[in-house]
Amino acid sequence: MDPLEALVAQIQGLSSTPGDISRLHVILKQADDSLRSESTRLSPVLAQLAPSEHSLGFLYVLDAFTSGQISKQQAETTVPIITGFINACNAEQIRLAPEKFVLVCKRLKDQVMMLEAPIRGVGPLFNAARKLQLSTEHLTPLHSDFLLLCLLAKCYKTGLSILEDDIFEVDQPRDLFLYCYYGGMICIGLKRFQKALDLLHNVVTAPMSSLNAIAVEAYKKYILVSLIHHGQWQISTSLPKYASSVAQRSLKNFCQPYIELANIYGTEKIAELEAYVQTNTEKFENDNNLGLVKQVVLSMYKRNIQRLTQTYLTLSLQDIANTVQLNSPKEAEMHVLQMIQDGEIYATINQRDGMVRFLEDPEQYKTCEMIEHIDSSIQRIMALSRKLTAMDEQISCDQLYLSKVGRERQRYDFDDFDVPTKFNI
Amino acid sequence: MASSSSSGLTFKVHPLVIVNISDHYTRVKSQLNPPNSNASSNSPPPRVYGGVIGVQKGRTVEIFNSFELLYDPSTHSLDRAFLDKKQDLYKKVFPHFYILGWYSTGTDALESDMHIHKALMDINESPVYVLLNPSINHSQRDLPVTIFESELHVIDGIPQLIFVRSTYTIETVEAERISVDHVAHLKPSDGGSAATQLAAHLTGIHSAIKMLHSRIKVLHHYLLAMQKGDVPCENSLLRQVSSLLRRLPAIESGKFQDDFLMEYNDTLLISYLAMLTNCSSTMNELVDKFNTAYDRHSRRGGRTAFM
Repeated sequence: MDPLEALVAQIQGLSSTPGDISRLHVILKQADDSLRSESTRLSPVLAQLAPSEHSLGFLYVLDAFTSGQISKQQAETTVPIITGFINACNAEQIRLAPEKFVLVCKRLKDQVMMLEAPIRGVGPLFNAARKLQLSTEHLTPLHSDFLLLCLLAKCYKTGLSILEDDIFEVDQPRDLFLYCYYGGMICIGLKRFQKALDLLHNVVTAPMSSLNAIAVEAYKKYILVSLIHHGQWQISTSLPKYASSVAQRSLKNFCQPYIELANIYGTEKIAELEAYVQTNTEKFENDNNLGLVKQVVLSMYKRNIQRLTQTYLTLSLQDIANTVQLNSPKEAEMHVLQMIQDGEIYATINQRDGMVRFLEDPEQYKTCEMIEHIDSSIQRIMALSRKLTAMDEQISCDQLYLSKVGRERQRYDFDDFDVPTKFNI
Repeated sequence: MASSSSSGLTFKVHPLVIVNISDHYTRVKSQLNPPNSNASSNSPPPRVYGGVIGVQKGRTVEIFNSFELLYDPSTHSLDRAFLDKKQDLYKKVFPHFYILGWYSTGTDALESDMHIHKALMDINESPVYVLLNPSINHSQRDLPVTIFESELHVIDGIPQLIFVRSTYTIETVEAERISVDHVAHLKPSDGGSAATQLAAHLTGIHSAIKMLHSRIKVLHHYLLAMQKGDVPCENSLLRQVSSLLRRLPAIESGKFQDDFLMEYNDTLLISYLAMLTNCSSTMNELVDKFNTAYDRHSRRGGRTAFM
C-alpha cells in the first residue's frame, strides 16, 4: 500500500495552488498505470480524498477504480460516488484532464442505464456538462450523453434548457451529430417542431466524408417533421447545396419509404395516405417512427382546414367535415378547436348554427410585448453579426487562404514579385 | 480701452463676413508657414486687414460683406487707392452698400489700430472695427468676434477717441444658412449621398441624446444624495425638477399610444431588417473566403481540413 499511500499524501498536499496542481497532474499521469493495477483496493482511498479540493486526484483514482467490469450491485455503490464527485468537483481542476472526466461520466451513464434508472444520471450529467464547457457556446461529448439520458428518462424540459444555448465550438464532429439528433428528438417530444427541424437540418447538412447512420436516421425524421410543420416536402429542393456531396447522393437511397410517404402527402388524398401507412407499418415501426407517422396523418387534416381559410370566410362544420374527409361535424369541431388553441388558425365557432368564421391574424404590432420581442431579436442578431465579423477576420488571416489568394494573383501580375506563392511562416 | 458702447446703434453681422475674415486669415497663415516647415509654431500669427461694407438704416447697422486690404507697415495705414477702387466697383453692383468700417484679426484692439480707424473717418464718420480672434479656444462657447466703435471720451482732461465694444447679432439670409450648415457638417465632396446625410443627422441626434442623458444623470445623482441626506434639501430645486418631469409625456391618449407604438415597431423592424442584411453580406464574404481557402473542387483537399 505504500506507493498508494504516498500518492494519497501527495494529492492531499499538492491541491492548493495552480502551480502545485500542474505538478500533481504530472505525477498522476505517471502513476496512472500503477493505479489501474490496484483498482480493487481503491475504495478506502476514495474515502480519504475530498472531491471539492482534490478534484484532480479524485478523478484519477475514480477512473482507475471504475475501469474494470462493474456488476449491478457494484453499480449501486459507485453511482452515488460518481454523482457526489460530479456535483462537488472543482471545474478548473477537471479541465486539466478532460478525457478522463468524459470517460468517468460515460461510465456513469452506462451504469445508470444498467440499473434502468436513467433519471438518476440526468442531474449529475447536466452539472458535468456545464462544468466541462469552457463557455456556454462550447459543445462537449457529455452533451449528447446528457440528452440521451433525458430522452430515456422522459425529462424533456431539462434537455431543452441545454438546447437553448447556441453552439459555436465543437471538438468532435460525432458529438455534433449525436447532440443535434437527440436534441431534435427532444424538441419533437415537446412539439417544438421548428427547433427540431433546425437541429435535424444541422445533422443532415453537416460535413461528412462518408455516410453515417446518425445522418440516415436524422434524415427520416427530418422528412416527417417537415411534413408535419411545413406541410410540404419537395424532393427536388430537399437538400441545400452546402450539404456534403455524400449526403446528397446517398441519403435518399436509405429512406425510400419516407420519400414515398412525402409524395403521397403532396397529392392531398387522405385515404391514400392512410392506406400507404397501413401497408408499411412495420417498416416505420422498426425505425421507431410510427408515432411521428401518425402525427403526419393528423397534420394532413390540419393542412386541409388551413387551406379552407384561404377560400372561405365562413363555413359550416358539416361542410368542413365533408371537404376534409372527416367523419362527422363533431370531429371537425374538435379539430378546429384544437387548432385555435394551438394558434395555428384564427377563427370563431358559433355553436348555435354550427358555423365557423375565419379571422385575420389579430396581431397589430402595436404592443410593448412586440417591441421587447423585436428588441431581443435585434440583440441576438447583433451578437451573431459580431461573431461573424470575428470569424471573417480570422479566416482572412488564415495561412491556407492567403496562400490560395496569393497564388491566384501570381498568374495576373507577372512583374509583381512581392507576392510569394508559398508562405514559410 | 473697452467699455460698453453708449451710441445706441444695433449691429447686425452676416455670417459671410465672419467666414470671409476667417478664410483670409487661414490663407495668409498657411501661405506664410508651409505645413511641413518646423517654424510654423514659432512665428507669431499674422494679422490680416480688410474693409467691411453694408447698409445703415437709421439706428441699425447691417454688415453684409467684406473684402481684403493690404496693410502698409511703413505708413501704418491701409492701401487707400485700392480701397477707393474697390468702393467704386462695389457701388456698381450694390448701389446701397457703403463702406462701414474695417476688420482685423488679433486678440484685442491695439493702439495702432486707432490710426487706421481715424484714416477711415473721412469715408464714414463713425466706422466700425470688427475684430476676429483666430486662436481656437475649445472651452469658449461664443463667437470670437468683437465689434468696436469709436467714441470721444475725456480722459485726463484731453478728449480722446477710444474703442468701445458693442453688442451685435447675427443675421442670416436663407442662402447663407445653407452654406453655413454645409460648412459646419463638413459633408464629403461627392455632394453628400443619402447615407451620409442620414449618418450626419443620426450622429447629431445621438450626441443630443447623450448630453440629455448625462444631464439627467447628474440630476438623478443629486436627488439621490438629497434623499440620503448628504445634501441639504432645497424645495425650489425640487419644484423645478418636478415641473421638468411633468413636461413629458406631452400627449397622453389611447390613439397616440397606438400610433406611437406602431411607428416604434416599424422602426425596430426596419433596423432588424438592416441587421439581417448586414449579417447576410458578412456571411456571404465569409463563405467566399472559406471556399477559396478550403477548395471544394479538388477531391484531395475536400473536407480534411475541417474533420
